[in-house]
Amino acid sequence: MAEDQRIGSILLADCGTVMTKAVLLEQVDGQYRFVAQGEAPTTAEYPWSDVAAGISHAVEQISEVTGRHFFDAGGNLISPELAGGEGVDVFAATISAAQPLQVVLAGLVRDLSAASAERAAAGTYSLVKAILASDGQAEGPTDEAQVRTICDAAPDVICIAGGTEGGAVSPVLELVETATLACSLMDPEIRPRLLYMGNSRLRRSVVNIVGEQAMLKVAENVRPTLKRENLAGAQAELDALYMQDKMECLPGVDAVKSWSRAHITPTARAFSRLIEYLWHLGDSSKGVLGVDVGAANTTVAAVFGGRPYLTIRGDLGTVFGGEQLLQKHGAEAITRWLPEPLDSAEARALLINKEVRPASIEQQPRELWLEQALAREAIRMTMAVARPGWEPEEAQPYPGLMPLCDTIVVSGGVLSHAPRPGQAALIALDALEPIGVSTLVLDAYGLAPALGSVAAVKPLAAVEALDSGGLINLATVVTPVGHARHGDLILKVKVTYEDENGGTIDVEVRQGDLEVLPLLPGQQAVLELRPLRHFDVGLGGPGKAGQRRVSGGLVGLIIDARGRPLRLPRDPELRQRQMQKWLWDVGG
Amino acid sequence: MYYAFETQVTALTNVRQRRMLPVPGEVLVNVGERVDPTQVVARADLIGDFRVLPVARLLGVPASQVKRHLRAHPGDEVKQGQIVARRRGLAARSVKSPIDGVVKASGGGRLLIEGRPNTLELRAHVYGTVSNILEDYGVIIETMGAVIQGAWGAGGESSGVLKCLVKSPDKLLVDKIIDPSCHGMILVGGAGLDEAALERAQDLQVRGIVVGGLAPELVPHAETLPFPIVVTEGIGTVSMSAPIFRLLTTNEGREASISGRMQTRWGVVRPEIVFPLPGETLPPTHTQPGTPLTVGVQVRVVRAPHMGVVGTVVALPAHPRRIETGAKARGAEIDVGQEAPIFVPLPNLEILR
Repeated sequence: MAEDQRIGSILLADCGTVMTKAVLLEQVDGQYRFVAQGEAPTTAEYPWSDVAAGISHAVEQISEVTGRHFFDAGGNLISPELAGGEGVDVFAATISAAQPLQVVLAGLVRDLSAASAERAAAGTYSLVKAILASDGQAEGPTDEAQVRTICDAAPDVICIAGGTEGGAVSPVLELVETATLACSLMDPEIRPRLLYMGNSRLRRSVVNIVGEQAMLKVAENVRPTLKRENLAGAQAELDALYMQDKMECLPGVDAVKSWSRAHITPTARAFSRLIEYLWHLGDSSKGVLGVDVGAANTTVAAVFGGRPYLTIRGDLGTVFGGEQLLQKHGAEAITRWLPEPLDSAEARALLINKEVRPASIEQQPRELWLEQALAREAIRMTMAVARPGWEPEEAQPYPGLMPLCDTIVVSGGVLSHAPRPGQAALIALDALEPIGVSTLVLDAYGLAPALGSVAAVKPLAAVEALDSGGLINLATVVTPVGHARHGDLILKVKVTYEDENGGTIDVEVRQGDLEVLPLLPGQQAVLELRPLRHFDVGLGGPGKAGQRRVSGGLVGLIIDARGRPLRLPRDPELRQRQMQKWLWDVGG
Repeated sequence: MYYAFETQVTALTNVRQRRMLPVPGEVLVNVGERVDPTQVVARADLIGDFRVLPVARLLGVPASQVKRHLRAHPGDEVKQGQIVARRRGLAARSVKSPIDGVVKASGGGRLLIEGRPNTLELRAHVYGTVSNILEDYGVIIETMGAVIQGAWGAGGESSGVLKCLVKSPDKLLVDKIIDPSCHGMILVGGAGLDEAALERAQDLQVRGIVVGGLAPELVPHAETLPFPIVVTEGIGTVSMSAPIFRLLTTNEGREASISGRMQTRWGVVRPEIVFPLPGETLPPTHTQPGTPLTVGVQVRVVRAPHMGVVGTVVALPAHPRRIETGAKARGAEIDVGQEAPIFVPLPNLEILR
């Protein structure tokens, strides 16, 4: 406790692929408060080649605002805080700037063991370079083709899954043999590690096959039964490899480590920790979801029934990966979310130019729409990897739709820097398609991951920083689920404000509507929902009415009756008009 | 303070070229040695031809019994047609090596034979002197010269004499002005070029192209060209920045090394053009790399609506201003030679050094 009392100030930093953010929290009147933030380009590359420099640059901006100094003349962080207010008591950092692990996945069946291996790899910053899966066909790729694929991919790790517990033997061992043959062709200095995550009964045989040809690591079977997935062990091994081989090799990381009492944590892992923490504060029958859209990665962290799930797409963010997505899936995969026409050539030009000038910002509306469209698609594609691995149980009333989520945290520059909060809210609604009643929360200062990290050092600080505006309510969202014709009345809503002036609003919601009702930040209201036509608003089943006490947000109270799943008009002109209307509806 | 990204557009500097093999290999030069662009400074063996022989299946024996039938073992050299495994007895069968090579491994009833490796030769790419050896991986070569970093590039590396084909940086490079005298040259265009110009350049076996912009439709074609292309401003039709065009035209007729290689993260590699100018004396530099943006610094705008425009910072307002998207951004006022300075968000500026 004596040590607790000494922590009067906390400096948090998140070192991203493109931008580094820093935030200062300070104890004011016995409570931790957000004081100031700074943001500067990440400095992992020439001429700095030192990630600590980027943190210093971001902290300089905090110094400009607060007049306080945090570094001594030698560039070392002053800690603990001095009597004159110089320095800081605790520093914690998260990092996502390192190169992801390059992995090759091998499994017996693409949709089973290989898919589980893919989700295990997605639990850390990784890039899947190739997937080997014969799908039980005798006429699969030849041994030579598989060995060539591995050698060409030059991975850091080969993940081998396959065989339920007590299940397949020979085909799994053949995969191990193929991977070992590939390793034998590579220079010993650059040989990948093998991570075996298949049928555990084969471990001894696997050790014998691999021998001295490669460094072998073993994790629990990721697919112990056809229906069950167990990713924790494999994810922990991959996380450890990422930290050891990639994060620790970032130039300047040693200086950052020397400033911090806590371990430097991968950003996504820390973000996941915060989401887990929020789940414990809320309605445990529902889930909590977090989405962090970075420049190079998109992270989805979820908790259902107390069980955390983390999925990272290391190949897609709002800066890197857009052009590859356009090439692979066509421009319409992105441009379908635009409120105005943009041909594929111009979209491609904008995406490439952003990639070569990653820190630059959108100055023209069409560029902004494109960035926001890419964010929608990045989230949707990450969700497509994440969702099959979730076991939401009672929080999943409708298979195929999103599970019920109490809180949805949205983070990342594209959301926190959106010129209007309605734009951030609409990106989240379009990309996630939540159902029932959820609170959308915006990580306005990009400190959610760092707060997850500080929770390990000083949980109270994390709680109080959250309460004092670290996370800002964006909106309460009500999404009815059911079937009706466009324009049919499906829900009656009564909002009773709890402030001094009181007052009520009655609204009739029709299928296809996107309504925003006023509910300011800090304002409380009781929401009375009376669904019609057997629509479900998450209050216990189809047609169930009820009341919920809700808090206000930057956008207000959103009733999203556009339908689930969300369908966009096929005609480009109609679709653009529709997107424009939705933007207007949410004040975007 | 804001630390902007930087682009080198330098008339004379100490150029350090890091030449690295992708895998460990052999360095062939020594510190202090003078090298020319085509000289091989290091080489490495890459995985070439190999064969995986399903010996167990071919002999008709279980994988566990293959070992006793092998006639060649890991580490042994074998010739094409040589018997590498044989089963005696009534069901006698043999397996021959389909290639000359070395047995690398055996396991699971299979034999891996590696043929002749592909040798990768790493060339110096520039005239200069070897200043450092990066053990087993490569060298650092230093020379005095001019450097221009591009924004986007494709193709590999090359060298040749520079030839400017346009009179101003806003002109397009068209096929009509590419004549046979361009054979073996590095061509300089202005704001961009068209498909016909790319084809004509290819026919005439030019050594490289430098342009301000490149139409997005031409990106796939540019990525398959047999010579490097360096785009100085970005994708689209964009006039080449005046200082870059000036530096290119003043070096017309000189031999240059051009690289279209590009990596946008995790060890950024930018496309570039280097003109070795040996014997020149290094002038005092105005701005050190990695210093903050200040009034008086020459900058280039990297985003629309002023993409490619070069000017001088005249003010750094303390407060953010609203930009066209509705966002608020801190920025700088830039004198671009117009009546009034333009306001540009700080992230959309890069220092020209």
